[in-house]
Amino acid sequence: MAEAESGAGGHVIEIKGLVNTVGQGVILHRDLDFSVRRDEVMSLVGGSGSGKTQLLRVILGLKRPAAGRVRVFGVSWEDPSAKKVRDARRRMGMLFQGGALYSALSVYDNVAFPLRERGGLDEGEIRGIVHAKLAQVELEPSHGKLLPANLSGGMVKRVSLARALALSPDLLILDEPTAGLDPDRSEGFVRLIKRLREEHHFAVLLVTHDLDTLFELTDRVAVLADQHIIACDSLQAVRGMNHRFVQNFFGGERGRRALQHG
Amino acid sequence: MPSRDAALEIRTVAQDPVPTRVRASGEWTFKGLKERELELTRRLDELERLPADRVAWDLTAVDELDDTGAVWLANALRNARHVEVAPRYREILKQISEGLQVPAERERFDPLAGVVWTGNAAAGAAEHLRDGVGLLGQLTLDLAGTLRRPREFPLREFSAGIYRSGVTALPVTMLVGFLVGIVLTYLSALQLKPYGADILVIKIVGVGVLRELGPMLASIIAAGRSGSAVTAQLGVMRVTEEIEALSVMGISTTLRLVLPRVLALAVALPMVTFCTDIAALAGAMLVSNFTLGISPGAFLQALPREVDVVNFWIGIGKSAAFGFSVAFVACHYGLRVLPNTDSLATGVTRSVVASITGVIILDAVFAVLLRNVG
Repeated sequence: MAEAESGAGGHVIEIKGLVNTVGQGVILHRDLDFSVRRDEVMSLVGGSGSGKTQLLRVILGLKRPAAGRVRVFGVSWEDPSAKKVRDARRRMGMLFQGGALYSALSVYDNVAFPLRERGGLDEGEIRGIVHAKLAQVELEPSHGKLLPANLSGGMVKRVSLARALALSPDLLILDEPTAGLDPDRSEGFVRLIKRLREEHHFAVLLVTHDLDTLFELTDRVAVLADQHIIACDSLQAVRGMNHRFVQNFFGGERGRRALQHG
Repeated sequence: MPSRDAALEIRTVAQDPVPTRVRASGEWTFKGLKERELELTRRLDELERLPADRVAWDLTAVDELDDTGAVWLANALRNARHVEVAPRYREILKQISEGLQVPAERERFDPLAGVVWTGNAAAGAAEHLRDGVGLLGQLTLDLAGTLRRPREFPLREFSAGIYRSGVTALPVTMLVGFLVGIVLTYLSALQLKPYGADILVIKIVGVGVLRELGPMLASIIAAGRSGSAVTAQLGVMRVTEEIEALSVMGISTTLRLVLPRVLALAVALPMVTFCTDIAALAGAMLVSNFTLGISPGAFLQALPREVDVVNFWIGIGKSAAFGFSVAFVACHYGLRVLPNTDSLATGVTRSVVASITGVIILDAVFAVLLRNVG
């Protein structure tokens, strides 16, 4: 990925002075600055109700902010050039918390969907990529025939990851990737993402409450509290912060335990 | 700045045992390939024709390789013997070549497919019947239970159901009724006027509207409006596991979800039919005034004389049965929805078709049973 194609300084996501409202003008985020560099794993943490999902929706272009500048790969979602917006969208993959697989399509067709929509490849080439993606997320070709309703929670996550990776994204957004998985599967999933990152070098924006996942994957942590990002630094630096949420989040029993293991 | 698009350099060294040297360079990505697609396809086709052991591939100058580039290269390298590739691209090339080797699933002709289809359809129909009878039985038991313990009756849902399927349906059904009344009277008047049988118009329209058209119009609109809504609502509740949550809490699904909806429509539809009748007769009165010269006063005086009141009650009674049938079919299909969007769409479509068909079948049964009445 050429640096010039990203935003200033090789940032894949840049948010400046964001004001985000919900409902009848209730301010959720105020003067929020946030950025994700290329090739890094950025974790976004925050208490329930702090607006992590709403921030993700803004980043994904699903919600229009009240004010502020949001750029993904240097492109604003309101850019008049539909091509630029489409190209930027195709450079990111999203793993939704519930998988968001198309329930009427088989596993194979779910993964093939973004490739077919983009066009430019024949069915044989698509087949090669889909099976490679399934193999990358440790699924067999025979799983391709299954419908999402017949998959376990872990498999839904893996198929959803395969679909998110289908267009070889430069940015992968993971919303609670290990939620609903048992510790063993969570561990496996984290290992899988780590391995894929080593092979494909994409940036990751991770939203999680799972401290083990956080310690295992992250390069930097952004803490969302009091309507803005109160800290955005290495795990070590953020943990030392004197803030009630940070202290409770990392200093609680679960945080200490994860630290010992991490 | 040199171009970084994908490129293939082909060099021939005559004396070498492997005379053709191919060097791939640039960005072998979806974007990079798009710019040079025609040229690269032509070159790759040329290389395809050469014996594999006489071509040496050098991929070390490839700057970037994504899945699309890997598919192109893996296809070209299928039988290649001499390949030099940067270690970081080995894995992706290996994964894509393995992916390309997975055979495509082909639909095989099955001579017994017709038999299987018929068997499945019969089993499906039997299952529908079993579930329908089961639901009806459970509904009867729940109704009997609420008669013994009236406090358990879901009054709030029942009342909401009457409002949703009755009150809110009035504008559209009354408008349709009014227009049908106009059309029917106008057509009858055109046919009967030459014979001087003007007064028969009141009889034809009165009996037609009160006994048949009023209940049918109200039921068909209810099937399209309330029936589809009930199926979609129960279907989504199934998808989101709300129905399972009710069962786990020990709350009867039929008592809480099916009974109030079925009873609400059975009670609301006769009232909707009554209003539709009034609207249709108002339309008939209007047209009679202008085309036949029958004044509204004369129309209203002649109506009870020409049309036996039992026709009205038959219409109202049929509406209650139609309301029950529409809501029952809608609930039955709603509870059978599987947790996927396709099943929800199919469920709603089938529910509307089945409830309208059910209403027409019931109407035919009533017509035969009540042929000597009115």
